[in-house]
Amino acid sequence: MPADTSAQLTGGPARSGGGATSVIHDLGYRRYDGPRLGRAQIIRALAWHSFRAAFGLGRGAKAKIVPLVALVALCLPAVVNAFAMSRGNPRVVDYDTYTPALRDLVMTVFVAVQAPELVSRDLRSRVLPLYFARPIKTIDYPLAKYLAFTAACLVMLEVPLLLLYAGSIANVHGGSAVWGQTRALIPGLLVGLMWAVVLAAISLFLASLTGRRAFATGAVAIAFLLTFTLAEILLQVEGQQNQGPQPVTFKGSGPGAPIQVHPVLYVPSLADKVSGLFSPFTLFDGVRMWLGGTDPADSVPNPGGLGAVYALVLVVITALCLYGLAARYRKARLS
Amino acid sequence: MTVIQIKNVSRWYGNVVAVNDITMDIGPGVTGLLGPNGAGKSTILHMIAGFLAPSRGTLTVHPALGEPVPTWRNPDIYRSLGLVPERDSVYAFLTGEEFVRSTAKLHKLANPGAATRAAIEMTDMGQAADRKIATYSKGMRQRIKVAAALVHDPEILLLDEPFNGMDPRQRIHMMELLGKLGAEGRTILFSSHILEEVERLSGTIQVMVAGRLAASGDFRAIRRLMTSRPHVFTVRSSDDRRLAALLVGRPWTTAVELTGKGLQVRTSDFGAFCAQIAVLTRDHKIALRELLPTDESLESVFGYLISSQGS
Amino acid sequence: MSAYFNPTIAALTLRATLGRRRALLFAIPAVILIALTLVLRASRPGTDVLWPDRVLGDFGFSVLLPLTALIVGTGVLGAEIDDGSAIHLLATPVRRGSVVVTKFAVAAAVTAAFAAVPELLAGLLAPNSSKLAFALFIGALAGSVIYSAVFVLASVLTTRAIAFGLLYVLIWEGLLSNLVGGARILSIAHYCLGIANAIHPDANLNAGLSLGTSVILGVVVTVGALILATRRLSAFAIQGEPA
Repeated sequence: MPADTSAQLTGGPARSGGGATSVIHDLGYRRYDGPRLGRAQIIRALAWHSFRAAFGLGRGAKAKIVPLVALVALCLPAVVNAFAMSRGNPRVVDYDTYTPALRDLVMTVFVAVQAPELVSRDLRSRVLPLYFARPIKTIDYPLAKYLAFTAACLVMLEVPLLLLYAGSIANVHGGSAVWGQTRALIPGLLVGLMWAVVLAAISLFLASLTGRRAFATGAVAIAFLLTFTLAEILLQVEGQQNQGPQPVTFKGSGPGAPIQVHPVLYVPSLADKVSGLFSPFTLFDGVRMWLGGTDPADSVPNPGGLGAVYALVLVVITALCLYGLAARYRKARLS
Repeated sequence: MTVIQIKNVSRWYGNVVAVNDITMDIGPGVTGLLGPNGAGKSTILHMIAGFLAPSRGTLTVHPALGEPVPTWRNPDIYRSLGLVPERDSVYAFLTGEEFVRSTAKLHKLANPGAATRAAIEMTDMGQAADRKIATYSKGMRQRIKVAAALVHDPEILLLDEPFNGMDPRQRIHMMELLGKLGAEGRTILFSSHILEEVERLSGTIQVMVAGRLAASGDFRAIRRLMTSRPHVFTVRSSDDRRLAALLVGRPWTTAVELTGKGLQVRTSDFGAFCAQIAVLTRDHKIALRELLPTDESLESVFGYLISSQGS
Repeated sequence: MSAYFNPTIAALTLRATLGRRRALLFAIPAVILIALTLVLRASRPGTDVLWPDRVLGDFGFSVLLPLTALIVGTGVLGAEIDDGSAIHLLATPVRRGSVVVTKFAVAAAVTAAFAAVPELLAGLLAPNSSKLAFALFIGALAGSVIYSAVFVLASVLTTRAIAFGLLYVLIWEGLLSNLVGGARILSIAHYCLGIANAIHPDANLNAGLSLGTSVILGVVVTVGALILATRRLSAFAIQGEPA
């Protein structure tokens, strides 16, 4: 092979011309030696992607219907309240309870339908090995999902409260009134935070048990609704027991229908207070009242000292669900 | 005799055209639908099977008994048509035998038991038929799907990528089965991008590229029709260099290359080359040891068609 | 109608519905209903109690029935469409109407078995409630039929049938139709309450519709849903990547 031109492998630009040596460039596989983002960035990217998926963003139009309807439904009381207050009526909706019947049902629908979107889809399409073939620890995946879904639930819960706030301060006058509204808002926001943290944990854990979305939705819905109705029944049954037979009306069908229990001589017994332990929603109410929230007539009775047990039960349930969620992904199997 | 007639069929999804004005007639025997991924093979198969409506054009089935009928919204075509879909989903909780038997009952066969046994025998699933489908390997699932598609003795059999997931022994068995069915006069249409199977199995191929029909017919005949590409032959003789000089002198030779293993000759006139190479070697006392057409394989045909369309 | 019912499809559907883990989702609530009734009966003896209304009404009728119907109804056809095995069923000369009607019948029967029957049992076990139990049982039977038809239709129309169904059951039936009086005619739960109320009038049921209206609307909705589902299933297309 004649070697009057020296052929070398380099990475520089090709030049030809008198005097310069000829080169053949190695344009093959090149390694990336630059800076690499770390675990935190991966978690953040996964969480952001999951947060968007929780609202159906990045998917077709049908995926957005349920989150949108849920959000609109939750915001309606705030709008109605603003309207009512603009007519001079006193506040219709409280910050820390915020139409409980509506919120219970809408949040149940939201978590039942969207939690599977976050975790069951990945299981079904078997992409988990792709996720775990990255420099992350196995706990990062459930962590990212949990952060994302908690944030999504927070949006669902706090946006209506903020709307309520905006509507209220538009209708009150004077700095002290505004300050009063703000002071009332803060506990409401904290209650929303409690809701988001617990609901996300429970629903994600249940949804992660299966790759079929419909099955997961059914399981989450059944879990929340059964426990809720159970707790309500025990409560009303106990309540009646204390005051003798009272006329009770079904206000139509549906678990969210308000039930009237006349509270004239209503002293909650121990059994009453315990019955609130059976459902996340009643647990929320109990903890809220224990921490000084309002005590409306048609909800769980004030647990008094037992509220600490309520809080403990909430913490334990959340911890168990998070542990289960993490354990679910510890071995990155295909399904 | 046309059994499946496809006339000016197009299918688009919004802006994406999956199938672009395809006209073809499919007759008895084995026809291979060949094309790269995204070519529209599955789309065409689903339209023939009546599970997708064409955006334009008509697909009709001409069964041996009965009128020609369009395939869309016409469940009666399934009396003479069996479909083996690509997707791996069957009722996993049934045993193989139960699955084929219930398909037989859905076809309202007079003797579902006998038909089930025959279909299972034909696909060589006798030993596994009593196990739940959930325990089957991918190749076994394919075969049980074929058994279910054959149980009603259909005149037409459509298979979407039937050799996916099969090991060589299963593949050979399936090819023999399909060949036998084709020889019986049935119309077998299968899609594939595995060239060896299509080459070995089907006489007729339909090549689809990017939604269009690139070629149809026997692949050797197609090769000969591609006159823009010269034919390539490998020639080994007792005196390669002298033969090369002689070949270069002929007008129908476009190129000759001396490789270590003989000559590679490109010729633009297949017929003239074939007629004259023997005469040439005999007249000049060169012993011809090997003469091979090197690009007659389906692979090269396919490659030419893809590249000519893909630019 | 008997020409429409296909025993092979029915057997397959029944096996698919009952033979999976999903069956727990509707078996467990039924068991809880009975268990709750027994527990309350034991702890609260006496006939002058009001918990049967709560248990039979809130739990059994308002939660157990619609949710069971939802899970069963969207599952009988929806699960097969979702995982692609529906094509094996549809690549046969079976009439599409037959598929729809058979699946609907199985869904209604399973829902009745897991929601209406436990409702009746609970009502008979509860003190002083047999008339209410019977009324709610008939109402639940009607509900099994009407809900199943609507949810089977939903599963043909979309793969997200259970999500929209849940929205309907909880938001529409749970809240809105109680707030706006006229909306009752669009609520299946109210058709059932109307029927139950006609058998054993009970102010607690708060049924707004008369028997005649309920039955007519129920029949219209059921038949309409089945017809629509048949038409959509006749145009069943395999969606997916063009390949």
